[in-house]
Amino acid sequence: MTVDSFREYLQRLEARDELVRVADPVSWNLEASAITMLANEEDDRIPLFESVEGARLVGDPYRGSQRRPWDRIALGMDVPPDTARREFYDETIERLQDQRDPTTVSRSDAPCKEVIDTGDDVNLLDYPWPYIHAGDGGRYSNLHTLVTPDLDSDWVDYSYHRAMIHDSETASVLLLAGEQTPNLYYYKYERRDEPMPVAIVVGAEPAVQYSSVMWIPTGRSEVEFAGGLKGSPVELVPCETNDLRVPASAELVIEGEIVPNVRRDEGPFGDYFGYMHGPRRSMPALQVTAITHRERPIIPFCVEGTGVGYTENSTSSMEIGCVGPDATLGLRAGGFDVDRCVPWQSTPRTVYVVSTDSTAPGDLHELANFIFTTWGMLHVDFFVFVDADVDPLDQRAVLEALALHADPDEDFHQFGVESMPKVPLNIYQTPSEKGDAQTGTSKAKTAKAYIDATREDEAAVDTATDAADAETRYWARTLLTEAGATPDRPTEFDAGAEP
Amino acid sequence: MTTFAEHLDGLRAADDLVAIDERVHWDTEAAVVASEALRTNCAALRFEETSGTVAFASGVYAGPDQLSSRSNRPWRRIAAGLGMERSASYVDLLETLSTWETTPLDEAVFVDPAAETDAGDDLYALGLPTVDGEGRQSITQGVIAVERDGTTSWAPVRGTVHRGSLLRVTVPRPFLDWCDGERAASISLGVSAATLIAALQGWTQDRTAPGVPERAAGLADVPLARADGRVVPAGAEVRIDGVARPTDDAVVGPEATWERPTETATVAVDADRIRLREDPTVPFVPLGAPLADDVHLASLVEAATLYRRVNSYWGVSPVSWVQLPVESRLGICLVSSEILYAGFDWQLANALFSFSEYFDKVLVLDEYARPTDLARALDDMWVKAHPGNDWIFSDPNAPAATAPVYRRDGETGSRLYISAIWDPRWDEDYIAPRVTFESSFPENVRESALDRWALLKEDDE
Repeated sequence: MTVDSFREYLQRLEARDELVRVADPVSWNLEASAITMLANEEDDRIPLFESVEGARLVGDPYRGSQRRPWDRIALGMDVPPDTARREFYDETIERLQDQRDPTTVSRSDAPCKEVIDTGDDVNLLDYPWPYIHAGDGGRYSNLHTLVTPDLDSDWVDYSYHRAMIHDSETASVLLLAGEQTPNLYYYKYERRDEPMPVAIVVGAEPAVQYSSVMWIPTGRSEVEFAGGLKGSPVELVPCETNDLRVPASAELVIEGEIVPNVRRDEGPFGDYFGYMHGPRRSMPALQVTAITHRERPIIPFCVEGTGVGYTENSTSSMEIGCVGPDATLGLRAGGFDVDRCVPWQSTPRTVYVVSTDSTAPGDLHELANFIFTTWGMLHVDFFVFVDADVDPLDQRAVLEALALHADPDEDFHQFGVESMPKVPLNIYQTPSEKGDAQTGTSKAKTAKAYIDATREDEAAVDTATDAADAETRYWARTLLTEAGATPDRPTEFDAGAEP
Repeated sequence: MTTFAEHLDGLRAADDLVAIDERVHWDTEAAVVASEALRTNCAALRFEETSGTVAFASGVYAGPDQLSSRSNRPWRRIAAGLGMERSASYVDLLETLSTWETTPLDEAVFVDPAAETDAGDDLYALGLPTVDGEGRQSITQGVIAVERDGTTSWAPVRGTVHRGSLLRVTVPRPFLDWCDGERAASISLGVSAATLIAALQGWTQDRTAPGVPERAAGLADVPLARADGRVVPAGAEVRIDGVARPTDDAVVGPEATWERPTETATVAVDADRIRLREDPTVPFVPLGAPLADDVHLASLVEAATLYRRVNSYWGVSPVSWVQLPVESRLGICLVSSEILYAGFDWQLANALFSFSEYFDKVLVLDEYARPTDLARALDDMWVKAHPGNDWIFSDPNAPAATAPVYRRDGETGSRLYISAIWDPRWDEDYIAPRVTFESSFPENVRESALDRWALLKEDDE
């Protein structure tokens, strides 16, 4: 059964006793975020705040459990949440290869059109956009899908760029050059002095949300991949004030345009790497032209920066569960022999771990070189390469490989010293180095590196466990299970070893 | 809990020991089960049904890795084994291990040895688990006791059974030198954490501190006994008495962690008497497995040594904690410190390189880093250190570290330290605040959120 809406996804969470309804009034002003952070850190249920000044909020709905960060991503794809991680990756990759064209439904069949506000009725402040961290530059919509058309083709890009609410009809959108949507804006629309029509889809069905964080190739529409992920076409409906189509099942849609040569303040913000980055900078301005939504919409948000290291929020879980499989597929499609590419859980976006058997001289450099030149790489500073028999989802195994196999003499490879671009969301550059560049890149360049944590040669087999056959290892796992020795980490990485 | 038996009782009481009732053979099977349990952060195990005269236990001084859950404390079983609370803080543990408190033998508690049942001299009958691929019964956790000129010392051992009554064990070479030739000896298996730690502190790396029994008694009131004039751990589950003589025959199989930075030698022990306590349990370590006991013990001993040294090196004590994560098998060292002045991170990292042979990578963290949040510390490594400026490599002239598997040929190479700190020269305005519950919300919001969350959980119950 496909998961056709965000609301249906929440129902599934509730059916699994993984959702807690908060009926008493809660303020959008830090309170909803604080409660969500507690839930996140305690690996507890997802809080749905049912009474937040005219609407509803849900905190980090896609946050995975600490030991299985992909489990709720799986639930949103109608994949059993207890699926083994290797199986989940394989299933996701398979679905991404089975894209489905979207269909169009009429406005009357689109839940996101239950309420339509245009013209003078538009008021962003009617909705409880959360103020997430004390010290943030403002209130944010930060768990949504930004829909943008290419100016020169039929391509429609889905992406994931947060928006800071300014007043009843304007917001600033974090557009960092080097990524697809920002490049459309900075180097096409703005250069031609044209506004960029956009729609911000809040509470899209899970597959759409997932596809918006993935590295889908330029020119390929995420909505087709979303159809693949969910196993059926995504239903779209035309917007009210522009020519875009948006997922019909969404909770709320903000229509508008990002106007050329106009900037509004954005940030600071407590971000994904666990720090409040600054300085406050100027970002492109969104002018809202319409807001449509369901009755009593449910607005999801993400408490970024929480639980660093343990994928304790939606975006870090989506990195593991969505970006990982997609990046794996992308690298394979690029002709590289990789087992898997996985974001390092401690710091999604900054470091990726790639497991591969292809470690001949030059192979890793070529692979790193390819990745560092792709879109979106301004966030990424490091790649760590491990052998294919090391589970890149297992931080312990990766740390061990890094400590024991990465020789400071030979295995740390920098791509120049301060020669590469960087987004200004980092904390290791001073504000003056980050600058206030109009295109949202840091003023100073940075270094990027890859680390070869693969073994030089096969270690001699001398432990009893190494010498044991797959059947004995499987028997051992079964024995432990039957004895009640509950593992607190996934055991199934080498489930393929079952006799 | 200062004896091994009491430690097992404590693990049981804490629901941190699982009984394996199915018969498990000592050859390979036990090691595979133990390795799998360690790899997946299971409880310690006691193998109830074995084919020898002893039961086995594994993981008794091991613990779960910190990266799989924020609540994991890898050192909890060692803390309990020292008689501390299982919830003891990491820094309290470091403090305890770094004070080197001793109890003179005339003030120590002497009792009759618990192992008093004569079991002959057939070592094979014990059915000790194998941990290598060759099927040799092995000793992987225990101490050898030797008396010389009225002084008894204990040293760590790893060994294999070769004939019915012949053991071959690896010991630190300085210990063998101290023995000064063939000596009567006792090998004790199933001993307290304090006993094992004191032996590591006495003789591994370049340390030569023979007063190990006194140190063990100072650490945790370890009860002592006398056997043929030697001081031995009274609570040992198994004691093998015999004669130890130097031999050139090496002990093969996977090494224990303590052996890597320690010059070792081999002694052959001709066993002439095996003593067992009632229903004995012999702990074993599947050497080479991730998160095994030997890694945990060596990690704490080394961290405590370094903590003590760097906090008494510059006339001040700027270091909050030092950690050689078991998750890295001691290949990297983390240090959390106040950065006293620009360049202090360089001094600190290079002092650590000087004081330890295990690692060639140091991660310098600020004083706000927590030893219970390894994932966060690693996050700092990636996001706080500038990849161009703060990953600092030495010239390739440093001796090879012992934990990593590369450069085992004696060649020199580089060391790396990563400076994940704020540059002390930066203005305060440049310092990015951490996102934490405390820093993200004012006090009234925190209190309200905590109250409401507690109520929600109550309602659910």
